[in-house]
Amino acid sequence: MSRARQPALAPLAAVVLAAGLALVVAIAAGRVQSVRVASAEAEARMAAALWEAGGGVPAVVGLLGERATMLGAGDGGEGAGAYAYEAGALEPAAWIAVAPRRAGGRLGALPGAALAIALAGAAILAGWAAGRRRGPARSRYPGVIALLSIGCVALAAATAGRWADRELRSLSAATVARGAQAVELALAGGAEPARAARVAGLPWAHDGSLESSDGQWTMPSEVAAAIAAAPDRGSQPAGAPAGAPYTVEAGGATWHAARAADIHLALLGYERTASPALALAAAGGLATLLVVLALHLVQLAARPRALRRTLAAWGLLAPAAALILAFTLGPLVFSLWISLHEWRLIDPAPLFLGFDNYAALLADGEWWSAIGNTALFTLHVPAAMAIALALALLTRGSRRAMRWARLALFLPGITSVAAIAVVWKWLLSDRYGLLNRGLERVGLESVPWLTSPDTALVSLMTIGVWMVVGYQMVVFQAGLAAIPRDWYDAARIDGAGPWQRFRHVTLPGLRHTLFFVFVTSVIGSFQVFGLVYVMTEGGPLGATDVAVYHIYREAWEFLQFGNAAAMSWMLFAVVFAATWLHFRFLDARRAHG
Amino acid sequence: MRGAPMADGAAAPRTARRLLLAAACLVMAAPFAWMALTSLMGQLEVFAGGSLLPRPPRWSNYPEALTVQPFGRYFLNSLVFATAVAVGQVATSATAGYAFARLDFPGRDGLFMLFLSTMMVPAVVILIPRFLMIEALGWIDTYQGLISTELVSVWGIFLMRQYFRTVPRELEDAARVDGAGRVRIFWSVALPLAKPAVATLALFAFVDAWKNLLWPLLVTRSMEMRVVEVGIAAFHSTYEIHWPYQMAAGVAAVLPIALLFLFTQRYFVRGIQLEGIR
Repeated sequence: MSRARQPALAPLAAVVLAAGLALVVAIAAGRVQSVRVASAEAEARMAAALWEAGGGVPAVVGLLGERATMLGAGDGGEGAGAYAYEAGALEPAAWIAVAPRRAGGRLGALPGAALAIALAGAAILAGWAAGRRRGPARSRYPGVIALLSIGCVALAAATAGRWADRELRSLSAATVARGAQAVELALAGGAEPARAARVAGLPWAHDGSLESSDGQWTMPSEVAAAIAAAPDRGSQPAGAPAGAPYTVEAGGATWHAARAADIHLALLGYERTASPALALAAAGGLATLLVVLALHLVQLAARPRALRRTLAAWGLLAPAAALILAFTLGPLVFSLWISLHEWRLIDPAPLFLGFDNYAALLADGEWWSAIGNTALFTLHVPAAMAIALALALLTRGSRRAMRWARLALFLPGITSVAAIAVVWKWLLSDRYGLLNRGLERVGLESVPWLTSPDTALVSLMTIGVWMVVGYQMVVFQAGLAAIPRDWYDAARIDGAGPWQRFRHVTLPGLRHTLFFVFVTSVIGSFQVFGLVYVMTEGGPLGATDVAVYHIYREAWEFLQFGNAAAMSWMLFAVVFAATWLHFRFLDARRAHG
Repeated sequence: MRGAPMADGAAAPRTARRLLLAAACLVMAAPFAWMALTSLMGQLEVFAGGSLLPRPPRWSNYPEALTVQPFGRYFLNSLVFATAVAVGQVATSATAGYAFARLDFPGRDGLFMLFLSTMMVPAVVILIPRFLMIEALGWIDTYQGLISTELVSVWGIFLMRQYFRTVPRELEDAARVDGAGRVRIFWSVALPLAKPAVATLALFAFVDAWKNLLWPLLVTRSMEMRVVEVGIAAFHSTYEIHWPYQMAAGVAAVLPIALLFLFTQRYFVRGIQLEGIR
């Protein structure tokens, strides 16, 4: 505990804190800037459409004032802050450059920022104090500093998030208003209503009704106005009956929007970025982690050997830890976050739903049928284990024979699943498949292996057994070889027959192996995808629609990522419960001898 | 499996055992045999039926099937993908496994438990966020998008840790007396001793990446970036009833892995046995 190293604490804490804060603010500023550019792009597109609708230069200047510049071809995007948009409708030589607008949103988060700065100051002060103080009390300071730093970075993240949110909202509102102005200008310039409506580049009021750009729904302008007047995007518009958030009373009638996100999309079509809260939280967490690690190093500095050992360990662990953090632990949290939203790739800002996705899934018959199919499919695991164990017992000691048998036994488990799926589809094909031809040859009825809801899942389960049995057999052989021979000798002396030896020596000796094989096979079986994707596509009539395939379609065909993420968490819960129960079961049995 | 005499005298006699094993192998290998036979048949022959053997073998199915879609490119992509994943997993697992096995630092056991607990998470849970992250990075349809998420394996870390713990400490102590640093000891003493574990891990990583269908399906779009697994699946939906072509492509996909297994099977078996007995 030499005194020489102590002054290092305060500057170090200051540097790490400053870096964390700068990171947080930089991310928020980047978000805001990207929305500014997006809104300028949208305005440039409006101006171009306005031009096309017959407005000409006066209309464009009327819409955007000094922020718009007409440029010749080749000048595109010149000048600081200018955004050039190549309008397809214009003559090839003409461009419109629009400077990104400053939203003029007030910071409005000064108390939070002040508190964050105060906390940072306190942390640095504590670091300084730690350097001056001697004795055992000193060791508490790093903890205090870490806590203060965590609070400081979290507060800064929250503050910056609120600032960014406010900017985004005010920019979105301004852009929507600009769209209305553009429509009016186009109408005043003599454009047809249908054409004028397209000027804003988003579903807009014309002829008394609102129309989505893909024509999927229409809505009168009063409704659109009622929605636009709602204070927050996605929240319940004024006058809507309780319990029906996406219903609006206007013009003497009730109107339904298909989804909140459609309204949302219509009004905020330009807001390309989501709320930065998640990125900010991640940055805050990372900065905190850095602070804690740095403080830990400072603590260790007194013992050079321990410090060197720790540094070596961190260096060796860094690649794996960084990858696990970035691609496993991070996504785990992110996945939970996604599952709480209506999250579609095409939707610019996800809508927070709380646990609505989960609640809807509980009542979703198709999802439960997919879970049921998965559970049924998993029944192939005990069947395969029984066969594999029998094979392992019967071939016990055939070491040389195993050497050549292994390729045949193993290949189904280690080779291309797609190729396996294709050959089995061919084997089980209704009219020309080898199996049905064989059945007909011996005078039996052919079986619709994959084309009848009654047999399709059983066929897949059989293939599942075929795929895993060789692998399981090798694991069992290893497990059997590890059972001490004395146990068998002792059992024989006690007069135990073959069955009793199996029951009381082999099975208990294999307990851990059985558990391992069961759990890994069940987890693997719950994730079956390739067979279904290639062979049946979930059919016929959903008979082989298993959970992962269902999730795959929900996310990548219907683009409902939020819903799909909620499904994946429910699947996780089911798998977890299954393995946990089995573990408890084994534990209980061991406890009873 | 030590070739010792049978532990339990009640097992079947040698000939019966061999017959049983042969029968099991036959059942397991039959689909592959039928795949190979069909791959040499003509399209009409397949639907006419009547014979199990192709007469005469139509070898031209192979060049035809493998060129109607750019299978050469698919194989190259699979090779790049699987090799990069194998190299990456060995690098990250060997370093982390050594740190967990040999270096004493605060928080080691907690961190190891955290790593292990991620093995409980079904891959599908992190599939969606991973995809959205790769998309946000603009890495869709690139090698880095395909590879980056697969570079670490907790199973591999566990395997390497277990192996390093069996390596006698005396060798490392001797190196330390000679003045070698910890990283140096890892690189020139411990790692060379762990070659069998490295081989096992590399093989499993390679094979798992080779047969990965879902992730490449999600993050690749163009034919230029497609891997063999996705290629076979896409080929199946395009040439739905042209079975000989599909079987030829299937044989081409299975063959590399079969050959790999043939020459390296002891490492596979070792890996599986290490996995099974804990």
